[in-house]
Amino acid sequence: MSNGSREAYIVAARRTPVGKAPRGGLRRTRPDDLLAHTIRAVLADVPGVDPAAIDDVLVGCAMPEGEQGMNVARIGLLLAGLPESVPGVTVNRFCASGLQTIAQAADRIRLGEADLMLAGGTESMSMIPFMGQRPAFNPAIFERDENLAIAYGMGITAERVAARWQVAREDQDAFALESHRRAIAAQDAGAFAAEIAPVDTVAREPDLEGGEVREITATVERDEGPRRDTSVERLGGLRPVFAARGSVTAGNSSQTSDGAGMVLVASADALKRYELEPLARFCGYAVAGVAPEVMGIGPVEAVPRVLKQTGVAQRDLDWIELNEAFAAQSLAVIRELDLDPERVNPCGGAIALGHPLGATGGIRAATIVHGLRRTSGRYGLVTMCVGTGMGAAGIFEAVG
Amino acid sequence: MILHVDELLYAAVSTAVGLADCDYRAPLAGTTFPVAGAPGIATLEATLVNLHAGGFISDHDYAIGKALATALCGGRVEPGSHVDEDWILRLEREGFMQLMHTDETAARVRHMLETGKPLRN
Repeated sequence: MSNGSREAYIVAARRTPVGKAPRGGLRRTRPDDLLAHTIRAVLADVPGVDPAAIDDVLVGCAMPEGEQGMNVARIGLLLAGLPESVPGVTVNRFCASGLQTIAQAADRIRLGEADLMLAGGTESMSMIPFMGQRPAFNPAIFERDENLAIAYGMGITAERVAARWQVAREDQDAFALESHRRAIAAQDAGAFAAEIAPVDTVAREPDLEGGEVREITATVERDEGPRRDTSVERLGGLRPVFAARGSVTAGNSSQTSDGAGMVLVASADALKRYELEPLARFCGYAVAGVAPEVMGIGPVEAVPRVLKQTGVAQRDLDWIELNEAFAAQSLAVIRELDLDPERVNPCGGAIALGHPLGATGGIRAATIVHGLRRTSGRYGLVTMCVGTGMGAAGIFEAVG
Repeated sequence: MILHVDELLYAAVSTAVGLADCDYRAPLAGTTFPVAGAPGIATLEATLVNLHAGGFISDHDYAIGKALATALCGGRVEPGSHVDEDWILRLEREGFMQLMHTDETAARVRHMLETGKPLRN
């Protein structure tokens, strides 16, 4: 192990396509298999790295139970073929989990405790629904009004943000339409080619007449969420879901999804040892807490913290991946922070591309790392709001 | 659900005849079953909180829902506690009587008796 290395570099970044949950192309692919697939894809990009040299594998997952329980990080890395000497840990900060792991991996490297770390996230919302299979709220939550918002669904928090920050329904629908438009344009231009590792799927169904098991294979190559057929009219015709007189609809909310995204984080010493070309430098990470009932505003607190911590000026951010949990909260964040809308989600966001909770941070990190290089940008920001009222933000700097 | 008060007696007699035809027997005394308890009430109350916050239910709908949740989950006991039918019926009766002492439930009962239609208040 090296000591004194103070920089953490992203040397490889890959993700699966994001499938629609619960009926998309990845619905029958286990999240540990998605993770193993993505780990293999990352390591295939750096053939000179000995997998046995990886110090740890950190995997974010927002609902770590069932098919993604039992420390999915460790199971996934073993399924990927990494040696049993490589440890793994699963991390949960809900929607920020996949970015949290990258930050923790970078921390270990910057402390000099590690040279190579795999980090990112995996999530199958097809197999493990939002809130898990057995939500069990603490009765104490309902004994005091000030704790009730802990039990708020994310949609209600979006309605609260829309009301407090006066984000109109029309603006939310327009934002959603733009997310789809940008995502489709990015897909058509092949913008995701460098980051996506297509997934071969197998479904095994009984052939009752033949008495055999029939294997149906398919390959998922593209994010399934973007819709060419959407329009302001169609979005405007959707009814509010979370509030009787609300403005938040299924069309201006993020999609439930399946997917995985991982990066390989390396020290400067590892760059030399394995002759690795860095894609980006991980500059810093910040988290902050906000009132649970307006959890969507989390980035408003986290982003200034990470900018101050890293010394990067907001005007120098060339690319911003703001996770679009809801158009209402995205617009409120954009307005509060005075972000340049042109730089926010240039390839579309979660409303079009999907939001596989704990994997999103890893997926968006892969997008921004490759996107900065493709567009000759320098600094990129990945930020998201987090359930129960938090915000997370990480800054990447393109290298080379 | 009986939609008209004039049908109530007929429906009750038909139900009783049907039960008798199926050789219904009252449950044995002392039979117990597990209940969801306090965490179960909390889980149901989480749904009520969101419905209320979304404007889908009124304050009184919430109160009714909470009383139902309490009876259905066996009260504020440990999850998996074993209770009997009398326990559940007692919770139901207590919840009903508490609600009957509210103006809103009294108004709902009066409205149903007078019009045959439910009142949302």
